[in-house]
This record gives sequence, structure tokens and C-alpha cells, in this order.
Amino acid sequence: MKKHPSFPQLLSFLFVGYLLFGSFNDCFAQRDTITNYYETEQIKLPKGLRAETGGMDFMPDGRLVACFHLGEVMTYNPKTKTWKKFAEGLHDPLGVVAVSNSEILVVQRPEMTRIKDTNADGVADVYETITDDFGMSGNYHEFAFGPLKDKEGNLFMALNVASNGAGIRPEIRGQYDSLSREGRMYSCVPYRGWVMKYNVKTKKLEPYASGFRSPNGLGFDAKGRLFVSDNQGDWRGTSPLYHVEKGRFYGHVASLIWQEGFPRVKPLSLPVAQLDSMRTRESIAFPHTEIAHSPTQPLLDNTGGKFGPFAGQLFIGEMDYPRLVRLLMEEVNGQLQGACVAFGDGTGLLKGNNRLVFDKNGDLWVGHNDHGWVGDEGLSRIHWKGKVPLDIIAMNLTTEGFELTFSLPVDPKIASNPELYKFQRYYYKYHQPYGSPKTDVADVAIKEVKVAPDGRKVTFKLAELKAGYVYDLKMGELQTPDGKLLMNRAVFYTLNQLKK
Amino acid sequence: MRLFLIVFGLFIATKSFSQSDTTITLQAITGLQYDLVRIAVKPLQKVTIILKNEDDMAHNLVFTKPDKRLSVVEAAIKMGDKGQAVNYVPESDDVLAASKILIPNTTQTFTFTAPSNEGAYPYVCTYPGHGYVMYGALYVTTKPLPPLATDPNIPPSRQNTEIMVSSPHPFTLEYPLLYRTFMPDCGPAAIAVALTSTHSYCFDAGKCYLRYAWAGGFVDNTAHWKGNGNAFAKIQGNIYFKDNVTYPLRVGKADKLPDVSFKGYTLANRLPTFNYALDGVDVKETLKTLANEEGLTRVFTFAKPTTQTLYFVTKSDDGITYKSSVGKWQHGTLAIPKGTSKVTLTMKRNKTQTPHAAAHSH
Ligand SMILES: [Cu+2]
Repeated sequence: MKKHPSFPQLLSFLFVGYLLFGSFNDCFAQRDTITNYYETEQIKLPKGLRAETGGMDFMPDGRLVACFHLGEVMTYNPKTKTWKKFAEGLHDPLGVVAVSNSEILVVQRPEMTRIKDTNADGVADVYETITDDFGMSGNYHEFAFGPLKDKEGNLFMALNVASNGAGIRPEIRGQYDSLSREGRMYSCVPYRGWVMKYNVKTKKLEPYASGFRSPNGLGFDAKGRLFVSDNQGDWRGTSPLYHVEKGRFYGHVASLIWQEGFPRVKPLSLPVAQLDSMRTRESIAFPHTEIAHSPTQPLLDNTGGKFGPFAGQLFIGEMDYPRLVRLLMEEVNGQLQGACVAFGDGTGLLKGNNRLVFDKNGDLWVGHNDHGWVGDEGLSRIHWKGKVPLDIIAMNLTTEGFELTFSLPVDPKIASNPELYKFQRYYYKYHQPYGSPKTDVADVAIKEVKVAPDGRKVTFKLAELKAGYVYDLKMGELQTPDGKLLMNRAVFYTLNQLKK
Repeated sequence: MRLFLIVFGLFIATKSFSQSDTTITLQAITGLQYDLVRIAVKPLQKVTIILKNEDDMAHNLVFTKPDKRLSVVEAAIKMGDKGQAVNYVPESDDVLAASKILIPNTTQTFTFTAPSNEGAYPYVCTYPGHGYVMYGALYVTTKPLPPLATDPNIPPSRQNTEIMVSSPHPFTLEYPLLYRTFMPDCGPAAIAVALTSTHSYCFDAGKCYLRYAWAGGFVDNTAHWKGNGNAFAKIQGNIYFKDNVTYPLRVGKADKLPDVSFKGYTLANRLPTFNYALDGVDVKETLKTLANEEGLTRVFTFAKPTTQTLYFVTKSDDGITYKSSVGKWQHGTLAIPKGTSKVTLTMKRNKTQTPHAAAHSH
């Protein structure tokens, strides 16, 4: 007679299933799945549009305004489902902000531009350069991202470094400096690899923070704090999200040469330990392959609950997987850190989730892009169907472990079983080579699992907590007493600061 | 009535590698003509024609194999009274696709696949009597079209009008047309402008001046738009002028290069006017085509009447004869006196010195 598998064996089978199929729930019919809660609809595109979406926003009158790789800016009226041209001829626009029904701001390769329709014919006739006060070597990788408008009207943008996969043009814009040319990614004209702030009072573009590689995503949280994502690569062990503050350095070394007062040395000649001590760590590391390959724009859920139980949290797009990622951030010792969890797996979402924006009804619009890499093209709209799924609402560090908060009560009989949880920790190396393997991987023993009387919280005491590690928690099939299943059973906490 | 449309198996069976479909609106207009006399599509591209009859007579539209326009037209005439029932479309291997006869103010949409072989495929109205003058050419090609002025495939009366190039955008191309893109022999902040479909220039938005101008087409961005955007836009046609003095406009001293800053542009009926500042002088510059694409006029307007002498510096070997509405020329340098608000500069191509000029004259 066959022996029944032991629970840990069963659990490891579940993990293999999870890894193979992403969302294990998809494997069985008639189970509680994400489509009970969210649905995704593809927006019909106008004929002739190559929908590599660079930016999206909503105009006050409810029209979507979106810009695309071939330089078009189009509006889409969701009521009449009609597309119209607003502007054209831009150079790879990668962000748009609507100012009014007739005015937008765009960042395109060479500049930040104000685009207006002044004669009310529905098509723009004024293209005003707000700022072009940064260098261009002509290297293809020098993408420009933004704008992101703060409450005072200041405009943030982010400038990619150049790639050694291609050279520079015979004619460049800005002062040339070869000091960082040896790296995989280099910054040979001013402020490549920087987040910049266009100061609306002084009308100047100010260098704001350095150390970026390919910062394809800027967003504010509920308190107006600036977050910028970046991509795995050199000096990026895995893809990160940074809380960006003025004057700080975020790890990619090429941009340091434009730091005021920085000595005339090749950044690559500095000891890694010194660079490591100079840098500000990411608030969230996205474990490569586990959750994301290429995170894009962070967006605050400011819908007040119209998009489900995640109001006040940040979502972030992801290029290589058909999903978004949801961020569970907290402040520990005055610094922001936290966890990430998948969102949207199995809703029919495409890949290439480059740009996000909420409409007034609380639907989340997703602009897709492939841009010569992995991804998809088009636009989608994710709609919450009104029922609350069982999902992780918060993951908080305690002095001895973690506390998970759920959107619905979990069945305490199931949830109190310690064998249902597996904690692992690892870190990603900060170094020049491209990416990093998971390093110093170890299982972390669970000393105690406690389920709160209301079933909303599960707390863990762990054998060990160490700063500088990602804590990777994978869970078995948690459910509510009435049988709703936990939608996402993997969560990754970036522990920079231990709770004092 | 059954949609009358013939597409040959030969063209369907061939494996498609076209990148996008195209929709073309073609109108039959007063004077036994179509509004467009040339259409450019790619081999094997799926082509949707929206034929509108805006005239007060009946017309159709028949696409034929190369050089078969007259034989098809004559076969249609021979049909006599029986022609009406079959829309005056003869049964022939030379007919690629056809509409029915459209009475005034009606529209028909039909779709066919462009042939795989490059070439000029006539389109014509086979209504008796019309076919000798009412025609045009479907260019199946990925290359620039021949100059309109000498194109034997279009009615002689239409050899001076615009063509329509298949649009890569969700709208038809209209001229003037502008792209910010990576251009050769220019800084990385480049603007390519087509004044007409066959007369174009490159403005450097970093250095704020006209870099060069060309005739015969605009730019092909296909490679630049592919993937990561590394490639330059490809110039279609022949460059007839290149600025060879680094920066032509100078403030105060003829030998001092000014500090420039780009302010953007405005469009008036799609024609761009560039705004920039040089040494604190705010300048607006509009470039227009001269008749027969013989060169450019450049209109400079200053926000305030100038308070210093401005200089416009040229070199004699640039193939251009300059004329100015204001100021005096000396050794190729124009001195624009103080108090000037507007200067119109005419840049005419020197036919004898321009090797490509011959291609565009009769
Ligand atoms: Cu006719």
C-alpha cells in the first residue's frame, strides 16, 4: 500500500506547483480564483497604432491621454470609445501628465515639453520646451522618464545612463566626460543616471539624486514621498525600488562623476565597500524571477476603496510577467522598507505593464510596451468586481519576526499550523557585475505561529532576524472559514532596518 | 449588389511579411480625376480602399497590372451596353481589383492584398471615356517614389501635386510633417521637417539652426523605431544644402559664436516656427519651400527690434545663392542693422553647382 506523503512533502509539491504555474489556483476548476474579484479588458486600438505605450494620464473631462513610441499623443474617450490625435512627432515620449483638457506635459528623449492646443481645434499647435538642460550622447539607452508633478508643481524626471552595447554619436549635447566610460553602463554627459527636479519657481532643472541605471518609473506614495524603480543590471543585484531623497546616492556608480565636489577619480576605481557605505539601499528589492524582472511605474491606489481593499498602497508595473506587484511599505527607524506581493496573476493581464493610471471610477488602466524587449503592446483596464479577495494587506516587522495582516479572517485551525509556512532569507550582492545570485540563502526556523482571535493577523516568531536580507515567505493554502482561498501565497520583505 | 472584387490567388498564397495594413481614402472629384494620383504601399500589404464619389458623374476604380491601363480601358469600351451590368470591368487577368460603379455621393470600401512584385500598378476609371485621363498609380514599393514632376505613370496635368505615403500612424500623413528623431550629421536633439512630401530639412534643436535640406522625399524612421531606437532615421532623397559655418547667426560680432537655447516651436497649419534665443535675443524662424522646390525662404522675427548688428555668415561653396530683405552682404556675410524686427532670407539652389538638380528638372 502506498504511503501518504508527509505534510512537508506535500508542501514542497505545492511550492513546485507554485513555481511552475505562478498561481497554483489556476490548476483546478471551480476553485476560488482571482477572476471572481478582478477582470481585465483589452481596449480596442485605432487602426495603424503601434501601441508601445510610453505614458498615460486622464484629462479633467475624463479622456485618457496616452503617448506612444512612434511619437503620437492620442486621446481616448471611454464613453464614446473614440480615439483622436492630440499631438505627433515626438521622440520616444515616455511619460505624460495632463494639465487641462487642452494641455499636457511630456518627457521625450531630448527634453521636457509643454504641449498645448491653443486654437481649440483639438490638435496641439504649441510645443514649448520646459527644459532641455541635460546632456545627450545620442546613445540609444539614454531614455528619459517622467514627468512626475508634485503638489507645488515641481516636475521630476529621471535620466538613463548610456549602454556599452552602443557608442556615442559624433555630435553630442552637453559637456563630455569620459571618466565613467569603462563601466557596463556609463554617464558621459551631465546628469545621466540622475533623478532631476524642474523647480517651478526658479525655472531650472536641478540635479536631485544620483546613482540610477534605468529608472523607468517615478511615483509618490500617500504622503508625497518620491519612489523610483530601477532594473537589475550592473550595481543592481536585483531590481529595486528606492525612496528618493535629495542629495542621496542610490548605488549605480557612473553618475557620481557629476556629483558636485566629487573627486576626479574613476568611480569604478573606488572600493566596493566605500561605494556601499555611500549608497542608500532600496526600500524594496524585487527578487528576480520570483516576483519581477523589470519593474516599471509605481502608482498610489488613491481610489478610496473603489479598486478593492488596497487603498493607500502602491502598485507597480512589471514588464516581463503578466502581472503587477503590490507594495506593503512601512517605516522602521525612520526609513521606508517593506514587502512585495504579486497582483493580477490570472486576470488575463498581458505582459509589458509599463504605465498605470486610475480613472475616476477606480478602474486601473495599464499601458503595455515591449520597446524591443520582452513585453506586449496595447492598453488594458482592470476592474474590481466588488467582492474582497483573501489577500495579504500588510507585512510588518516585529522585534522577533513578522506580523501578517489579511483582508479577511483566516481559518485559525488551518492558519495556526507552522508547517504551512516556509521562511527563507538571502541577499543580493552590491557589485559591478550584471545582477547577483541569491546569496547566503538559508531557511529560517519558525519558533511560534499565532493567529489573532479575529483571524485577521498571523504573527511569527523567527529563530533569527538579520538586517540586509530579503525575507521570503511562502505559504500553503490558507483560507477563510467559508472557503475563500488566499490569492497570493508568496511575499518578500526587504529587511534593511531591524526594529529597535 | 455583390461586391465586385477580384484578388488573384497568386497574391494571397504568397506568405505575408507586410508589417501593417493600410487604409486609403480615394475620392473621385470634379474634372475626371482622383484626388490622389499616387499611392504608396508595401509589397503584400493589405490595402483597404475607401472610394468616395464626390463628383456629379458616375465613376469606378480598377487596379491593373503594370502597363495594362490602356488595354483594360479599351476592353471596357468594347463591352458597350453590356458593360453597365458588370461595372465596366472586363474579365481579364490584368485586373487586380475593382470597385463597382459609384453614383455621386456614394462610398464603397474594399480590400485587397498588394502584389509581391514591386512596381507601378495603374488605377483607373473604366467608365467609357474616362480612362484616358482619370487615373493614377499604386506604387508597390518600399523605396522612395520617383519625382512627381517627371512621373510617367500619372496624368500630365497632375505632375505638380502631392503624393500620399502609407502612414505608420493611426492617421494619414499630412504635410508639413515633423519628426523629432535621431538624424545623421546633426546633434542628438534633431527635428526633421517635410515641407512637402518631397522637400525636407533638418533643424538642430540643440544648436538651434538649420543643418541641411534635401529634395526627393522625407525620412524613413523604420529602423529607428524598431526596438530600442539606436538607428538613425534614413534620409530619402538627395541633400542639396548643408550648413558649413557651424552657426550662421551671430550677435554683435561676426566671428563670435552665440550662446543658444531652444524654446520649442509652434505650428500654423502644420508649418513649424522655431523659437530660440541667441545671446539673449529671442528669435522666431519659419522655413518655407520656394516654388518648384528650388530652395528655402527663412523668415526670422525678433521679439524686439535688434539693439546690435546681427550677422548671417555663409560660405560660398554651399551651392546656394542667398538674398535678404534687409541688410548688406559682404564676402558672404550679411550684416543686419540695429532696429530690425524681421528678415526674410531666400536660399536658392545653384543649378549648375548642384549635382542632383538635374534629376528634378525637365
Ligand atoms: Cu470616371
